[in-house]
Parts: sequence; C-alpha cells; structure tokens
Amino acid sequence: MPKWAMVIDLDKCTGCGDCMAACKLENNIAIVSPEEANVGRVMFWMDMITTYEGEYPNIKVKRIPKPCFHCDNPPCTRVCPVYATYKNDEGLVGQIYHRCIGCRYCMVACPYTAKVFNWYEPKWPDEFKSCLNPDVSLRMVGVVEKCSFCAHRLIKVKENADMEEREIYDGEYSPACGESCPTNAIYFGDIDNKESQVYKLSQSSRSYREMENLGTEPKVIYLSKRE
Amino acid sequence: MRDLIKKYFKLLIISLFVISVLIFWAASGANPTNIQPIAYNHKLHIESVELICSDCHIYVESMPSATIPNISICEECHSDDPITDSPEELKLIKYIVEEEQIPWQQIYSVPDHVYFSHRRHVSIGELDCSECHGHVEEMTEPISYPAWLPSMDNCIACHNELKITKDCLSCHM
Repeated sequence: MPKWAMVIDLDKCTGCGDCMAACKLENNIAIVSPEEANVGRVMFWMDMITTYEGEYPNIKVKRIPKPCFHCDNPPCTRVCPVYATYKNDEGLVGQIYHRCIGCRYCMVACPYTAKVFNWYEPKWPDEFKSCLNPDVSLRMVGVVEKCSFCAHRLIKVKENADMEEREIYDGEYSPACGESCPTNAIYFGDIDNKESQVYKLSQSSRSYREMENLGTEPKVIYLSKRE
Repeated sequence: MRDLIKKYFKLLIISLFVISVLIFWAASGANPTNIQPIAYNHKLHIESVELICSDCHIYVESMPSATIPNISICEECHSDDPITDSPEELKLIKYIVEEEQIPWQQIYSVPDHVYFSHRRHVSIGELDCSECHGHVEEMTEPISYPAWLPSMDNCIACHNELKITKDCLSCHM
C-alpha cells in the first residue's frame, strides 16, 4: 500500500502563488468577498504563509505554501464526532462533506489551521460556473473542507493503471498544485517506495517537517537551507 | 344526537380513507408507462439485430460514463427509409432528419458527491451489466424506474459481499 507524501522545496519556491490559484480552480473552492476574507473567512486549501524579517530596507520575506499536511497521526480525525474526517490506508486524511455536521472541532484540533469552514452557501460568478471541475463535488454551507491531495485525481490514476494492468509509476499522481508549479518546487509521490523522488528528497539534510515536536507526523516535508 | 355523531363519524372516516387512496394513487404515478421520447425496444435490438450493450453505450468499457446513445449512433443503422413498420421508428427518423438530439431521460444517476465509474465496474471488476441494470434483453419497452437502485446501502452490500474497498475516498469527493 503506497503512502502519499509531498515535498516542497522552499529554495526553489518563488512564492508566486500559482499553486494557490491552481488548487482553487481544481477543487471548486468558493470565492469569499474581501470583507469576509478580512475577518478570517478566506478559503484556501493551499495557503501561503508570508513572514517578514528585519527592518526596512533590509527585509527578508519568507513565503511558505501550506496545504493540509495529511498527518500520519492526525489530531483532527480523533475529535470528529461523526467520522467525517478520517485517515485511509494510503495515508490520505479524507473529509467527507456529506457526513460533516459543521461542529468545527477538527478546525480547532488542527495545529496547522489547514481546514476551512463554509460560512455561506458558495456562490460563483456566472462566468465561473461553466469552469467548475465536475470531478469534485460542490460543498454546501456549514461544512468543513480541506486539501484532499487531489484524491479525485488518484482515483483516475488508479483506474488507468488497473486498465493497463500495471502499478502506478512515480510522478503519475500529482495534485494540481504540483502540476502547476512553474519552478517544479512541489514533488509528490509514494514515500514508502525507496526508489521514489519524494523518498530521496525526504532524506535530504535540508528537509524538515512543520511543528515536528507535536508528534503529528506530517506528510508534507519542506526543504530549505534557510533557518 | 349521539346516533347522528356516530353516523357522521363513520362518513368522515370513509371519506378520509377515499381521499388518502386517491392521493396515494396520484402520487405513485398512476400512469407509470413510458417517460422516454421513444419506446425503445431493447429486446428486439439484442435478439434480432444481435447488438451488444457496448455497441450503442460505446464508452461503457473505457470511460466512467457509459453514455446514452443519440442520433449519431442510431443513424449508423437507421436512415430515412424505415426498417420496420413501427411508429416508434418513425419518431426516431424524424429526430434524425431534423438533426435534433433525442431528449432521453436518465434513470440511473448518482448524486454530485458520488463518483461512479463504469469502466472500473465493467472492465476492471468484470461485472455483468445485468447485475445493476436487470435483464435488459427482455425489456420490450423502456422502464421508468431503475431495476436496481444505486443507493449507498446497495453499493455497500455488494462491496461487502465481493470484499471490495469501502474507503470513503474511493467514491466520495
């Protein structure tokens, strides 16, 4: 059974935000008005954490793309009273919207604030409606959603592999963010496979995981030379 | 006075019963015959013309959606000249001549948040079409309700029986 993981090379990342846009389009994520976004109701599955260090004019900017970390020991699944969020055999932390009752316990439990809540019935401008991805269901008001590692793509990849009676090859399954990244800073693959690029990169001396001391064992690994 | 109440009470009960029967009859579709624009005869096409499912539902083995055939598929066999003297064929020819799509009604469907793939079930799982669609080869006219309801209970029952994955993410997204 593969274990899907992501490696984000921050030394390659320019912070352009293409991954955020690709994710938003791929997963039919609702567009929130600027007023609502300002009170923290902005919806991103792939977020971008921006920090500034130093004083003007010597400012250092850090841009860190942040999807759901699909923890191996996820705190969110333990608090869900209705089994709407769970970890499957391949290590993906799923969110089943039609099971979710919107209690938002999981949002509180997640130390990475990877989950977002639908405060309103999602609305799209008319021009957008024909561009919605038919592979991803539309969420309704009052449910929690989050990055799925583009699990709908995994289904198609598995089907293609089964049709051709072969295994999924390294790099065949990639979420939209990884596919769109102009500097190829996002890698995706099976971390249990010692031959995979993701495994090799995860062994790098530059690799680190966010808030490792919490014991959540995130499956998104960052590479950075900077502190 | 008491007799009068008793008498009217009985009448009330009877009339309520009659009204509820009428409502039930109307709601259950008193005329559940053909909802399709053409009374397509599956039996005839399968037995006499020896067609198989994938001849018309062309993507059943290679795509998630099997597709409902329309005039582009029909006109491979049917032209301006009717093959039979069936009035239903004349309806089809009218659609073909006017180059208008046949407004077939979809009977089997799953909700937006469910992913169902024909190729997964037919090509990879090697299930027979009749497992879900019933004995289509005996249908002389279209059915207006599913032979097998594509509900989660029914899906899970089969997945349990055949020991297929029940991971939520394999169907829900």
